[in-house]
Amino acid sequence: MSDLALLSVTEAADAFARGEASAEAMVRACLARIEAHDAKVNAVVRLDREEALAAAAALDRARAGNAKLGPLAGVPMMHKDMYHRAGKVSGCGSAIRRDFRPEATATVLERLDAAGAIDMGTLNMAEFAQNPTGHNRHHGDCHNPWNLPHCTGGSSSGSGAGVAARFFAVALGSDTGGSIRLPASICGVTGIKGTQTRVSRAGAMPLSFSMDNVGPLARTARDAARIMRVIAGQDPRDPTSAAEPVPDYEAALSGDLRGLSVAVPREWFFDGAEAPVVQGFEAALDVLKARGASIEHVSCPSLRAIGAYVSVVSRVEGATIHAEWMRERAGDYAIHLSGRLYGGYAIPATWYVEALSRRGPLLRQFCREAFAGHHVVATPTLRMRVPTLAETNIDASPDNWARHMAVSANTRPFNYLGLPTVSIPCGLDDRGLPMGLQIAARPFAEARALMVADAYQRDTDWHARLPAL
Amino acid sequence: MQDDPMEQAKAAIRHWTGVDCPNAAGRRALDDFPALIAEFAALRGSLAFEDEPAAFEAVLREEKERNT
Repeated sequence: MSDLALLSVTEAADAFARGEASAEAMVRACLARIEAHDAKVNAVVRLDREEALAAAAALDRARAGNAKLGPLAGVPMMHKDMYHRAGKVSGCGSAIRRDFRPEATATVLERLDAAGAIDMGTLNMAEFAQNPTGHNRHHGDCHNPWNLPHCTGGSSSGSGAGVAARFFAVALGSDTGGSIRLPASICGVTGIKGTQTRVSRAGAMPLSFSMDNVGPLARTARDAARIMRVIAGQDPRDPTSAAEPVPDYEAALSGDLRGLSVAVPREWFFDGAEAPVVQGFEAALDVLKARGASIEHVSCPSLRAIGAYVSVVSRVEGATIHAEWMRERAGDYAIHLSGRLYGGYAIPATWYVEALSRRGPLLRQFCREAFAGHHVVATPTLRMRVPTLAETNIDASPDNWARHMAVSANTRPFNYLGLPTVSIPCGLDDRGLPMGLQIAARPFAEARALMVADAYQRDTDWHARLPAL
Repeated sequence: MQDDPMEQAKAAIRHWTGVDCPNAAGRRALDDFPALIAEFAALRGSLAFEDEPAAFEAVLREEKERNT
């Protein structure tokens, strides 16, 4: 087998299970790529090299002893630096929490551990997961492996860049307004935000308790399916987690789109969209049609209200939980973050309660507009081509505010709606940077969205392309 | 100055929360509010008397896809 770092999650797990690759060899291959390229990308915050090698050696011994191992046994991974690991620093991309050592481990990490995953350390991210571009003044900006002066998307910047650079096959991100799907789209990988309440948030840094989601960024929809099967499901430590049973997502990946109907909303998602993005999206729809799907443009008037309300919820919740630090040490935040948090204090409480109170009725309305007779909704993940770090840098100039905030325009509505949503790579723009196709499904229909994504990936190779570093 | 609604907002924030405007980006964040106020004004009348946040999770279950 050639470079083991190039294996996807399922390829790595299957190679380990069959005895074709050792866990130690896979970890060493990933470490070698990180050592070769991370000086340029800046995805890694903390590399737990010796612990990862020790965990790998233990798994190799267990396999040699014919022990029953989990579905991720031997797979090296790293995660956004906001998931608690007992005794380890969880810095949240910040100066304020640079020394924070939690006492308990996040449920998602415990579930990955139990499945045999090897945790190699933590990844760069937007400070407190609060920007859509990946800028970070404390650790330095993460760079897009496809073109280093361009942003990675955020807030899960190191997760997207690291998977794209093949530092590891999968990383956890988090998504409150697009923070999994944006770096997935911008770095040319696959990411899924599950239904709100689908994955436990226990031990994950909070941003907005109403809209925070935990999920993976990986190479393929099949990889994402395997990870979701492991991490999804009710958790007594997260009272908001849903009791819905967790299906075998991989078993749903049939590749068969015959009879599938795809809705494309006329409103919102194409406002000001750049021509290469629209062309890439239409080409992606053609791939789905060739597999048997039908496409219909639908009207979703609810998106106007959704667009207004979504901008309120996370800002108020974020401003609330950061209030003490904003009073005592606002200068320890990046300029763009303290500015963004500050805006949250101007929002009236009545607006916030209105936004939350309208969430259920607007979800019902959107489902009737978009899913009546249709199985999924498709949109571009971003309206714009991938911007540079410089042109979205608010700390350098407040004039970049609008461009910075516009990055997440197409992802935010699905956080308010709580719908499962996948982003998959669907091409390169005229500057050679990735574009993403966003697929949303009804509540708890992660399997449906992943099935469509997997079907697309059977006929395309965008997810398999490797940026030159 | 007293007629500038953004200056009034800054004063209200300081009075109610003890948080000062940290920088020019904070001021820029407030610049978005006239547009947001207009969006909320356009939505007046849409909130029903009985609407409440707890309905959201019920609708998630109600609207889930069957047979997947």
